[in-house]
Amino acid sequence: MQARVTAIIVARNGAAHLQRTLEALRGQTRQPDTVVAVDCGSTDSSAELLAAYGPTHFISADADLSFGDAIKTAVRVLPEPEGEHELLWLLAQDTAPEPAALQKLVAELEIAPSVAVAGPKVMEWVAEDYIHDFGLSMTPYGSTVTLVESELDQEQHDDMSDVLAVSAGGMLVRRTVWDHLGGFDSALPVVDDSLDFCVRVRLAGFRVSVVAPARVSYAADGVAGPDGSSRGRASRRRVRAERSAQLHRRLVYAPAWALPVHWLSLVPLAFLRSIIDLLRKEPGAILGEFAAAFSAAFLGSRVRQARRRLAATRTQPWSSISSLRVSAAEVRRRHALTREAALTGVRGDRPEIRFFSGGGAWTLLGSAVLGVVVVGSLLGAQTLSGGGLLPLSDTIGALWSNVGYGWRDIGLGFVGGADPFAVVLAVLGTLTFWSPSYSMVLLYLLALPLAATGAWMAATRLTHRGSLRAVTAVLWALSPTFLTAIAAGRPAAILVHLLLPWLFFAGFAAARSWSASGSAALLFAAIVACAPSLAPALLVGWLLCVIASGRRVMRFIGIPLPALALAIPLVWNQALRGNWLALLADPGVPVPTAPVPVWQLVLGFPAGNFGGWTQLMPLWGGDSGAVPLLIPLLLIPLAVLALVALLLPGAAGAAFALLAALLGLGTAIGASSVSVATLGDAAVGIWPGAGLSLYWLGIVGAVLFSARGLHKVAVAPLVASAVALAVVSLPLAAALPLGTSVVQEGVGRTQPAFVTAEALVDARVGTLQIVPQQDGGILATLVRGEGARLDGQSTLDSTATEITPEQAELATLAGNLASKSGLDASADLARFGIRFVLLRPAAETPAAWGSTGEVTAAATQTTTRTTTSLDGTAALVPVGDTAFGQLWRSDAPTDTAEYGPIPADAGGAFGLITAIIAAVVIGATVLLSIPTGAGREAVRQAHRDAIRRASRLSKPPKPVRVPRNARPARGRRSDRAGTKAKPTPKPKPTPKPKPTPKPKRTSAEDDNHGH
Amino acid sequence: MATKRRVALVGARVTAGLIGMAVVVVVAGGAALVPWPTIAAEPSSTLVTPVAGDQLRVCPGPLLTLAADSSQADVATSVGRFDTVYGARVPDTGGVAVDVVRTDVSAVDNAESVRDGAPQLLTVPVDPSAAQAPLIAGAQSQTAASETLSGLAASACTEASSDSWLVGGSTDVGRTSLVLLSNPSTVVATVDLTVYGETGQVDAPGSTGILVQPGTQRIVSLAGLAPNLLSPIVHVQSTGGLVAAALEQSIIRGIQPGGAELSGPTTNAATEQTIPGVVVTPPSVEVSVDEGAVSEDTPTVRVLVPGETPATVSVGVVSEDGASTGTSIEVVIQPGVATEIPLSGVAAGNYTVNLQSDQPLVAAALTTVNGSVSRDFTWAAAAAPQTGEFLVYVAGGPAPALHLANTGTVDRAVTLTADGGAVTQVTVPAGQAVVVAVTPSIAYLVTGGEGIAASVGYTGDGQSSSYTVSPIGPQAEAIPVFSH
Repeated sequence: MQARVTAIIVARNGAAHLQRTLEALRGQTRQPDTVVAVDCGSTDSSAELLAAYGPTHFISADADLSFGDAIKTAVRVLPEPEGEHELLWLLAQDTAPEPAALQKLVAELEIAPSVAVAGPKVMEWVAEDYIHDFGLSMTPYGSTVTLVESELDQEQHDDMSDVLAVSAGGMLVRRTVWDHLGGFDSALPVVDDSLDFCVRVRLAGFRVSVVAPARVSYAADGVAGPDGSSRGRASRRRVRAERSAQLHRRLVYAPAWALPVHWLSLVPLAFLRSIIDLLRKEPGAILGEFAAAFSAAFLGSRVRQARRRLAATRTQPWSSISSLRVSAAEVRRRHALTREAALTGVRGDRPEIRFFSGGGAWTLLGSAVLGVVVVGSLLGAQTLSGGGLLPLSDTIGALWSNVGYGWRDIGLGFVGGADPFAVVLAVLGTLTFWSPSYSMVLLYLLALPLAATGAWMAATRLTHRGSLRAVTAVLWALSPTFLTAIAAGRPAAILVHLLLPWLFFAGFAAARSWSASGSAALLFAAIVACAPSLAPALLVGWLLCVIASGRRVMRFIGIPLPALALAIPLVWNQALRGNWLALLADPGVPVPTAPVPVWQLVLGFPAGNFGGWTQLMPLWGGDSGAVPLLIPLLLIPLAVLALVALLLPGAAGAAFALLAALLGLGTAIGASSVSVATLGDAAVGIWPGAGLSLYWLGIVGAVLFSARGLHKVAVAPLVASAVALAVVSLPLAAALPLGTSVVQEGVGRTQPAFVTAEALVDARVGTLQIVPQQDGGILATLVRGEGARLDGQSTLDSTATEITPEQAELATLAGNLASKSGLDASADLARFGIRFVLLRPAAETPAAWGSTGEVTAAATQTTTRTTTSLDGTAALVPVGDTAFGQLWRSDAPTDTAEYGPIPADAGGAFGLITAIIAAVVIGATVLLSIPTGAGREAVRQAHRDAIRRASRLSKPPKPVRVPRNARPARGRRSDRAGTKAKPTPKPKPTPKPKPTPKPKRTSAEDDNHGH
Repeated sequence: MATKRRVALVGARVTAGLIGMAVVVVVAGGAALVPWPTIAAEPSSTLVTPVAGDQLRVCPGPLLTLAADSSQADVATSVGRFDTVYGARVPDTGGVAVDVVRTDVSAVDNAESVRDGAPQLLTVPVDPSAAQAPLIAGAQSQTAASETLSGLAASACTEASSDSWLVGGSTDVGRTSLVLLSNPSTVVATVDLTVYGETGQVDAPGSTGILVQPGTQRIVSLAGLAPNLLSPIVHVQSTGGLVAAALEQSIIRGIQPGGAELSGPTTNAATEQTIPGVVVTPPSVEVSVDEGAVSEDTPTVRVLVPGETPATVSVGVVSEDGASTGTSIEVVIQPGVATEIPLSGVAAGNYTVNLQSDQPLVAAALTTVNGSVSRDFTWAAAAAPQTGEFLVYVAGGPAPALHLANTGTVDRAVTLTADGGAVTQVTVPAGQAVVVAVTPSIAYLVTGGEGIAASVGYTGDGQSSSYTVSPIGPQAEAIPVFSH
């Protein structure tokens, strides 16, 4: 009997492609007998176009109708089928069949009555000689496999016929089979609808075949099959739909006994797959992963219906289709190919670094030698002391217990959030797990080589010239602020200086790579943890990047998240106190500093006094009066070079660099005029050095732009400014050898040996440390066990503005101990668990850089008074003078001490929740930052893009010159087609150097330039 | 066309660049010039007022003599009993009495302690809720008239201290000087004595690390540490417990006792010292004096500048009797050397000696009295100005007088209320001094005495002595305690 073909064409806002499809339909050699047009709530001219075609039936449907449901709606208006010869041809707005397509398809069904479904060869819409997809199948585990995908059609697959399934667009199906099987499963609205249908067709005893001569062009508008756009939202939705479909089919196809296993595995698998998604750099897929798992788990009725329908129509065993599945070996082969492509993609993304041939190794070597000269005196040290340096906790467990929300064992101890810096210290300490404190020594020994290498790597983003990279490294490593941080014992500031170039390095590539974005987020978190004062400036920079990033905004928007996740407990505590400014406090040991004039900051000296020149000049036979003239003069070449960059090519990048410099300077000035922490009677200012590191980064960046723009002319001024900088930084670099640095080899203790020995027996032994203050008062703190540790410091303690009742009680005890008093101290000593009283040397007035502080007369008097009084206290026995001060022992039993033991589970639920949040965010970011190459989806997309690009390039140039103002329109059109027509957005609006080949320079751009 | 556009482009770029440069320079330079406001966290501290301790006073005990038995030249023995008067009042109540607990201090070095009485420890327990320490005062006196020791020795019961100066004594031939160290506290005191003489600091073996057990008195012969010193000055420093130090000096001229004195510590080194109650008596017999030499009977002031720098000291002598015969001399004192400044030509009368110096110094004045049968001498120590109301107990003795010197710059109207209610009112003009006769063995509550340095002096026939009235020690000064 003559076949009767009903073509059903579904459109949803598809005017752009519909025209061509309708033309193609009109041009069919075998015209369909009936045409049903279904318009799914189009808002453009689709409906008019469909109507104008003159279909047999025209149906206006809702916009949210899936393709399968639209077909079902259309079938409902048709008369009852009269027999096997009634065929349905499923078309969408973007499936333009070639003239003979229908004829070939019909022929296939007419020849073989056992064939119920015939699918065309689906070609790319634009690149018509490329196959979009041709035949579908499943792996033995049920994953969808497109048999042929994104290949140049050389008729190499034309011998295929029997397949497991075909895609929906252009499919020709017997209406009786369609009705018998109930059409597409409504639970599969987008993906796998035809696969599932074809599987059921197969299991019902029919065959599915592809017809190579029947070709249909397909644009992946998202009507039949998923939206093929590479835009983030569409691709995320597609991934989610794919996963939903896969889970749905798994539950439908599984034997009944396996259902509980599958059901229980849904959420755990979602977690597992999320990790893999992160490693694949597809963080956008994670939400879909969970949404799919939960909808599969809790929309059981859909599964029940589908299983019933399958059971009703299945006549063949599952084994009947096993030969049509893709074999495990083939699956492995395909995965291997994808992996290879992914790695290639990643390598292609890498900038040209050439560490060895570009002079990076020599820079590293040179800076290592310099490092040995600068910090060589610390070579044998196991711990460091002085300035803000203290030993770390002795064990890794203790290190990590100082992280997050919980018991802060400083002073009397309290429950509160740790500084995020504790996490940085814990990571560093874990690296040197055999002796966590040694990480600080290593930091010192490696500081200069690490700084030079970091700067060298950052310079690779801007220049390919080895000499410029080397000079950048020198300028960065000899920065006065960095050398001051080393000499002043500021580990946090050293870390900031080491990490900033890497933040630039990673941030620069963040637009291109999720891996770089993840790394930038981690570096951002580490830098903000080390120097919270930098957060405002960095956030401004981040905001600029977000604004400038365009459609890659997702890769920037999350960069501050890890920093935020780490800071939640601290922010919570400070918010409760209403002391928001205190969030800017420097973590670590509070060190009071003398105020620094702003113009010293402008010159780059965070501690003033020209980094020590004021003191050294007279010693070296010079006139100290010349220093304020000489030093600025030496720095002028650097400043001029930085400013000149604004006049040269690459001025926009230089402007950004100078903006960063001004932000850094602003941070430094702000930091120097704000002090939020206190130590005894002294206010502890924020270290301006961190801001100056950013300032220096901007200046060095601008100098680099300038040197790039000046080419050969730049050599002399560059060398001159580097040498001048070396002279300027000489006193700072030589601070350790000269002995003007406060940093020295530590003894590993912060308490007298007598106390340390006692702490071995009783880890919670209490020592009351009394430090006479400049104003005649005393600083009285309770130290437990072996004493203060760097990771145990807390800005919540140092910025506290209120005194708790317990602190007041301890203060009363200390005040009485320091005075001739009638108080019987033994009871209070026992109550606080104090076994020792240590009278430390009086606090000195914060001195300007290079000079030593003085002890005020009032402090000396207080020392005498306290010594006398402690000597005369019957409850205390003098032990003697120690390296840490005068020590007394109390023999009162402390068994009943009210204070001392750390309360169990101090953090409570809040601590647990914040810890989990931080762990998840940081863990996800770490996974994301691991450079594993692009994901499968990205590779697939890249293939398609490449095909479209190649097809456009292969087309002959258009003879008519496009008018100038028409060009952007063309660019937009190609954009809509899903290609990467836009030039790669820069992570920072810094243009790349011309000589560096731009990866992924797009064809559209080339085209435009070409014409 | 193209070149024009090019020129325009380059021009625009240069202009933008120049503007950018100007912005950077102005912002960076301007930042250096603008005075930025500062925000500083205020350190929070707890002002701790120490719990007032018990008020303790130590009366040094009976006069002692060495070498009663030549085989035991170092053993001191007491030479008779002494009288003590003491009491305490609640401040600002017009004289409500407080009980004083009296206990003996164990005089381990005195073989006759049981017979003659031990040094006394006076204790006034302090109510922790009381805002002010109670007023406590005590004094002792003893008149000796033995073959080896004669004269009047009156002394105040003093507060223990970790750092005190004893100015007086001599280890020359015929002079006996004993340092009495009493430890009223509950911990062992380790005492270091530093002896200065007319040649500078004396290297004195055995002068350091003297252990004074709680509740005991140790007696140290100064001659054993530094023999043949004409004008020793002893710096007593203790660690651990506090000690109340006193110096006993007695003189034998030939075979005749030449007087005895038990003097308490003088005030600590300061640039201003006030020595009230320097009583100059007319010499009863003319003593022939060599040309240029100073008679032994000439009143002298012994001073020591403990520092490293020579001090220019102006010594002013102010009459307490209203006479306008005050004199002033200026001398340069070498540091570390005990120096005697003779007050030659001062007529008989009551005087207050003021010392003004550019370096801190310690000082005390020595006067002698020649009676009809015996001689005696007095060490008048420098007295610290009172801080308000104070209590004076007058020990028994001949013709006691209260010497009041106003160290302030405003006149003070001082009211003396004796036990029994007799009220005496005197006005002490600024920088001047007065003397008020008082009755022995009773107490006087003195009000309005802020800035007044006071001492009690006795003058009899061949008898004289003096002791200062010390203000209540700076016990309870509040101290700021920082918690972080």
